[in-house]
Amino acid sequence: MDYKLISGLVEKYWEGETSLEEEAILREFFSTPHTALPPDLEEAAPLFSYLHTEAVREVVWPGEETKVVKLSPVQHWMKYAAMLLMALGLGYGLQHRGERAEITETRITAQHMEDDPRYALEETKKALRLLAKNLNKGTTQMQKLSYFNDATEVIEGK
Amino acid sequence: MSLERFLSQVVPVRQKLYRFAYRLLGNEEDAQDITQDALMKVWDQQEKMADLQNAEAWCMRITRNLALDKLKSRKYRRHDDLDHAGELPAQHQQNPHAMSEQNDVMKKVHATIHALPEKYRTILQLRDIDGHSYQEIAEILDLDMNEVKVNLHRARKAVREKLQNLQVYGL
Repeated sequence: MDYKLISGLVEKYWEGETSLEEEAILREFFSTPHTALPPDLEEAAPLFSYLHTEAVREVVWPGEETKVVKLSPVQHWMKYAAMLLMALGLGYGLQHRGERAEITETRITAQHMEDDPRYALEETKKALRLLAKNLNKGTTQMQKLSYFNDATEVIEGK
Repeated sequence: MSLERFLSQVVPVRQKLYRFAYRLLGNEEDAQDITQDALMKVWDQQEKMADLQNAEAWCMRITRNLALDKLKSRKYRRHDDLDHAGELPAQHQQNPHAMSEQNDVMKKVHATIHALPEKYRTILQLRDIDGHSYQEIAEILDLDMNEVKVNLHRARKAVREKLQNLQVYGL
């Protein structure tokens, strides 16, 4: 058998100059055993034999056929439930935020008063002024009530 | 990307992606996982599909990146599939001794190719086993076409030298 063509292709292969078709010819050639090969082909034989075996080896995806499962919006209930829970949590948090801020402010003021007596005195005066301002607000009404009581007693002849 | 497009362009490539992942990882289970992950990633990045000229190359690039990430992960220990090389069908060899000898040779070639740097090995496999063109390999590996040719030439040269050593010195 004339190996000149194959030897030429092998040389081209080592130089990286073969086309895909020529490489296929080489793999095909070396897929069967040959006797009395020239040394250059003897050297290349194991590689091409391996490449051929790997090329025809079946590496098959063992998984099942792909099934497309379409989910209806109702089947996304967990998503909606999570959104609802998050909204409730946020609402609850915002609602209690104002209350917490107020409590914190009161605590800070109390702490401040404990630390600074002058501040405590000022705050007490402020509170007493507020009390005093509102203290006599009802007296006029009470006086009118008193006149009314006196008049009632006179009429009843007591 | 519509579901129809995914089913018509991406899903049929799955077999190739699996084969590619298997070559990189040498392990069927990991190759399946990586292929699934790659398909998920392709679906997540579906808006890029419209701008692509070669969706298949893009899918293979994603698969390769995921496989390389897995190989790099500290926990991962590459499953050496030399045993699989030993199972290669020794065609036309009826003699048990000749079969055993042939298997031994196959294992040595397999080990030689797997000892190459990852880039060389992948280029060699894509070209000489899967029969991809230079252009396709360049797109899959995101390389310049000349770079592919140079690396392929170096890979073949390295394999040739190693095989010569094996044949002459039995190293």
